Amino acid sequence: MTRDEFLELLAETIDTEDELYEELALDEVEEYDSIAVLSLMSMYDDMGVKVSPSDFQDLKTVMDLIKLADDKIE
Amino acid sequence: MAKLHFENICIKAVATTVGDKKITIEDEAHNFGYDEKMIKRLKKRMGFNSRYVVSTKVCTSDLCIQSAEKIFEKFDKERVDALLFVTQTPDYKAPSTAIVMQDRLGLSKDIIAYDINLGCSGFINGLLNAYSLINSGLNSVLLCVGDVASSFSYYKDKNLTPLMGDAGSAILIEKGSGGGDFVLHSDGSGYKNLIIPEGGCRNPFNENSLKAEDFEDGTRRGVDMYMNGGEIFNFTLKVVPNMFEELFNFANISKETIDYFVLHQANKYILQNIAKKLELSSDKLPMDTMTIYGNQNSASIPATVNGFLSDEFSTKKLKVLFAGFGIGLSWGACLVEIDNIFAPEIQIYKH
Repeated sequence: MTRDEFLELLAETIDTEDELYEELALDEVEEYDSIAVLSLMSMYDDMGVKVSPSDFQDLKTVMDLIKLADDKIE
Repeated sequence: MAKLHFENICIKAVATTVGDKKITIEDEAHNFGYDEKMIKRLKKRMGFNSRYVVSTKVCTSDLCIQSAEKIFEKFDKERVDALLFVTQTPDYKAPSTAIVMQDRLGLSKDIIAYDINLGCSGFINGLLNAYSLINSGLNSVLLCVGDVASSFSYYKDKNLTPLMGDAGSAILIEKGSGGGDFVLHSDGSGYKNLIIPEGGCRNPFNENSLKAEDFEDGTRRGVDMYMNGGEIFNFTLKVVPNMFEELFNFANISKETIDYFVLHQANKYILQNIAKKLELSSDKLPMDTMTIYGNQNSASIPATVNGFLSDEFSTKKLKVLFAGFGIGLSWGACLVEIDNIFAPEIQIYKH
C-alpha cells in the first residue's frame, strides 16, 4: 500500500471528510474519537498489524498513525 | 483444559422476553450530548438504533418467568429436575433467585436450584451446567439467563447505556438425540475492563456510591457498570476467532458444515469484524439483535434465536454454534444439534 492509499483508507475508516496529511494534529480532526479508535483497531488488524488500545493513547499527528503501520506502507 | 463432549442431550425449547419500554437513540441522545452527526455515525458504525428496557422494579426473574411460562404451555412443568439462573442482576443479594423462582413457577420441591453470576458468556456456561447435570443423571433442566442491564447502567453513561437492553430467556434441556461440544476460557487479569466496582465486599456500598462522576468516556456512579470499550473490542478480536478454530478441531468438523453461528450480540460492529475474520456471511451469522433490542448480556444468544431464527429452529434439523464472550473476562463456545425445537418469537414483557 502506498502512503497516499493509506491516507485515503484512514480518512474512510474514521469517517472524516477532512484532507489528512502527515503533520495534521489528531486533535484537529473532529471525528478522531473512541469510535474512530475502534475502527482503526479493526483497520490495522485487517492489515496484519498488531495493535492494542494503549498504542493510541499518546498519538499526536497523522504521522503517528502512519508509523504504526510502517512496514506495510511502501 | 475445559473442553467437553456430550452425547444424547438436546435443547427442547427456547423462549425470550424483553423489556416493555422501547427507547431509540434519538430519544436519549440529549443524555449523552450527541448531535445529529454523531447519531448518524453511531448508527452506521456501531449499529445503534433502539433498545428494549424494563420499567423500574421489574427484575430479570420476572422476564425469565414469562419466558418459562411460555415453555410450560407446551411442556409440563413436573418434568423439571433443576432450575439454573444465570444473571448479574438477581432479585436479592441473597438468597439465590433460582430458589425463589422454584416457588413462583410452581416447580417441585425436589429440584436443584442455584444462581450463576456471569454475563456475556453466561448462556454457554449455563448450557454446560445443564448438559453436565443431565449427563450425571437428571432428565430435564430449565436454564434461565438474562439481565436487566438498565439497573446498572447510568442514564448519562454514553459509553455503556445506549448499548444495553433488558431480556430474560428460558431454555429447556433434556435427554434426547444430539450431542454437544464445548470449549470455555477464563482470564481474570482483565476483570477491571468490565466491572461494577462498588456494592460487593471489596468496595462496600458507601455514602458516595450513588454520586455520579464525569469521566472522559461517560458519567457513572460506583454502583454502575464500567466498560473499557477499546480493551473489550481488542479482547474479542483476539480470542473469538481462535476459540472457533479450537472448537472446530475439538469437534473435528469444518465450519462449512455449520448452519448458524449465533453469537453474543455485543454490537453490530464487533460481529461484523468476527464475520469478516471467519469469512462468514450475515445469513449464517445474525447480527441485528443489538440494533433492535440492545445488548442483552447472557440472554442475547437465545434472544437472537427467538428474534431472528424462530422459523428455522422450529422446523429444521440444524448444526449450530453458540458463542459468548465478555465480562470476567470469560468466553466460551459450543456446537449443538437443533431438531425442530419449540422456539416462539420474542415476547414483550406484560406487567
